[in-house]
Amino acid sequence: MDDPRNAPAPIFAKRWTTRLFDSNHKANGLRYLWLALLSVFLGMAMSLLMRMHLVWPEMQIPLLSGMENSPERYAALTTLHGSLMVFFVLIAAPQLGFGNYFLPLQIGARDMAFPKLTLLSLWASGIALIGFMAAFFAARDAGITIWVASAGICCLAGLLGALNFIVTTVDMRAGGMSLPRLPLTVWAWFVNAILSFLVFSILLAACVLLLSDRIWHSQFFVMPEFARFDSPATAHVSEPLGWQRLFWFFAQAEVYIAMLPCFGTTAHLLSTFSRKPVWMERGVVLALCAVGSFGFCVWGQHAFISGLNPYSPLVFSTLAASLGLPASFLLMSWLGTLWNARIQLNTAMLFALGFVSLFVSGGISGIFLARHDLESVAVNDDFITGHFHLVMGVAATFAILGALFFWFPKMFGRRLNETLGKVHFWLTFAGVYAIFMPMHWLGLIAHSRTTPGMTLSAVSAAGISMRTFITMATLLTVAAQGIFLANFLLSVFSGERTRERNPWNSTTLEWSVDSPPPVDNFGTGPVAVYRGAYELANRETAKEFLPQFVAPPPDPKSQQARK
Amino acid sequence: MPGTISTDDIELIIENVGGGGEGKPPVRRDGDGGDGGGGGGRGNGGNEGKRPDPPASPNRYITGMSVGIIAILIFFMAMISAFLLRRNTGHDWMAVRLPGILWVNSAFLLLSSGTIEIARKRLAAGNGAGFRAFWGLTTGLGVVFLLGQFVAWRQLAAQGVFIASNPASSFFYIFTGSHALHLVGGVAMLSFVALRNFETSTVRRELAAEVASYYWHFMDALWIFLLTLLYFGR
Repeated sequence: MDDPRNAPAPIFAKRWTTRLFDSNHKANGLRYLWLALLSVFLGMAMSLLMRMHLVWPEMQIPLLSGMENSPERYAALTTLHGSLMVFFVLIAAPQLGFGNYFLPLQIGARDMAFPKLTLLSLWASGIALIGFMAAFFAARDAGITIWVASAGICCLAGLLGALNFIVTTVDMRAGGMSLPRLPLTVWAWFVNAILSFLVFSILLAACVLLLSDRIWHSQFFVMPEFARFDSPATAHVSEPLGWQRLFWFFAQAEVYIAMLPCFGTTAHLLSTFSRKPVWMERGVVLALCAVGSFGFCVWGQHAFISGLNPYSPLVFSTLAASLGLPASFLLMSWLGTLWNARIQLNTAMLFALGFVSLFVSGGISGIFLARHDLESVAVNDDFITGHFHLVMGVAATFAILGALFFWFPKMFGRRLNETLGKVHFWLTFAGVYAIFMPMHWLGLIAHSRTTPGMTLSAVSAAGISMRTFITMATLLTVAAQGIFLANFLLSVFSGERTRERNPWNSTTLEWSVDSPPPVDNFGTGPVAVYRGAYELANRETAKEFLPQFVAPPPDPKSQQARK
Repeated sequence: MPGTISTDDIELIIENVGGGGEGKPPVRRDGDGGDGGGGGGRGNGGNEGKRPDPPASPNRYITGMSVGIIAILIFFMAMISAFLLRRNTGHDWMAVRLPGILWVNSAFLLLSSGTIEIARKRLAAGNGAGFRAFWGLTTGLGVVFLLGQFVAWRQLAAQGVFIASNPASSFFYIFTGSHALHLVGGVAMLSFVALRNFETSTVRRELAAEVASYYWHFMDALWIFLLTLLYFGR
């Protein structure tokens, strides 16, 4: 243990070059998590600005009132909020953050397959974040160009990251870690990596074409305007359909890219804290694969006005609706795992349960939206904003927080404060329902103005009070995140120490090493895996839990046979 | 934790693998992992030399290249779908007359796919000089192809056909340009395999050459496909 390779990696290395450019998978994973933490607070601040602007448009905000107060600004704010939350929180935290940190630990590898590639993609993401922020402050046209370039860089980073995940899972597993023994988290990361490298390639191509249009004036997405015969100069109008089609390849699959790793961690957490194996584990693996493959095929779902074949919405609707099948199966497995269990209601478990709750609430409104005829009237509405924030944004955030509370002792050798964590959970849980449930209602009453006998003033009066309510709820919920930030930062630097290797009595390989794990994870000896990932409360072995890494007692029969 | 494992246990695992382990023995050979081509490298400096590098599969380079090739293929497929879509919308499509030099370039690139295989055969036979000659020839043919593509661009520009001229020319330039950019990466990869000192590396030159040759053949096939598309899709 005197060997420096076995020493736990410090949270902040002394040398700044190590701090920034150490290619170890744990350092990279942590950097992604810091990036996500920064982005999620930036993104939340933006949503707060938007909500305040909607309700109190004349309000002067000290720093930002100097900028032109135009509809374009508001649209830019929305775009930036979405870009940050999607590229740096929903993609970064569950997959690239926790994945880079725990994938090698869970499959018994010493590092990712190509650690320097991870480092490259991480810093590309960092540059893209700066690019997105710069785009907001630049002039309009330059800003759009910078945004497209940043999105392209994000794609490249995501592509390299996904490649790394696939190769690591395929080639770097420890002895005995057969595919059926992979933890569900690893399955989810793997399926997700396949899905994301497919769609990131497509979005990268789209970004290259669009950038070429904007910089070199090529004509991929623009067309001469023939309608104006009177004007001699052929003006070019943008023809967004081509871009739209390529973009939706990514954008629709992106929802599943955000959700898949969350499915994995949630199943993992529910099993650990229910002290029961995952119900129908094989089925869950199949469901994850199904979400991945259907998720890639529903790209036409929102493109119903883009001149696709009129029959295609039927196909895409059917596919989108059939996504409910694996989703319901996952839900059934979660409930089956919880059934009759002695549940340990700590903060990590609360967040996992919160994820299930939000996923169901958001998913139910999704059933309405899978109908293309219903969706076509609701697409620009508060209804859809409420739907996808619940099911994708907030649910995923809950899964990320659950995973954070679960893995925090392993990552930092300290614990997050449970009391603060629980207060934060209940405030956030109540807060997000108070924000996004009324949005569904807003979307519905907006349509009631088309019914006879309903006056516009009555509709908007109802809307205004509801919008004020949503904004107040947003203010309170964002304020509650201060509790989390304080808890997180205090715990990282001075939380209750835990040197215990396996504080949750969990079964996967990462709990076999020190907390925080040594630089090369498992030392130089062979890493061996002896059983499936969810050996909890097994009647045959009569053990409360049996980790994957514990060697079985030598079997007397085989000993005799060998002699 | 490593201390808990005895050889008996490891043999037990082999019995328990149950089909999913892909025939890999639980104990991997030490010393063939670590740093190579595009990745590797442990995070800490310090006492690298004292212990054998932790085992890692050399397969990862081949898997990584295969996944990378699929990603590049999809990148071009997305562009091609935009090409097919754009061709059938609007009435501003004006066919690009492909410069004749493209056919010569293609012949050079096809030839290079042959020479890279000869180089690998020589390397496998232990003929270092033969390998270097043919590997160098392959790299040279790649550079000639790139120069030829540049000449083709100049010829089109001389006719007044630029990237901004019309959608067909836009696609011509973006296809040839993206392919050329990827091929520059290929030339860099070939040079790396030729110049790197594999004595100090944990990766064998044969493996590096194999991985590079996959990429090279893919670039070749991709070019033929793009050229066919540009010719028939004018």
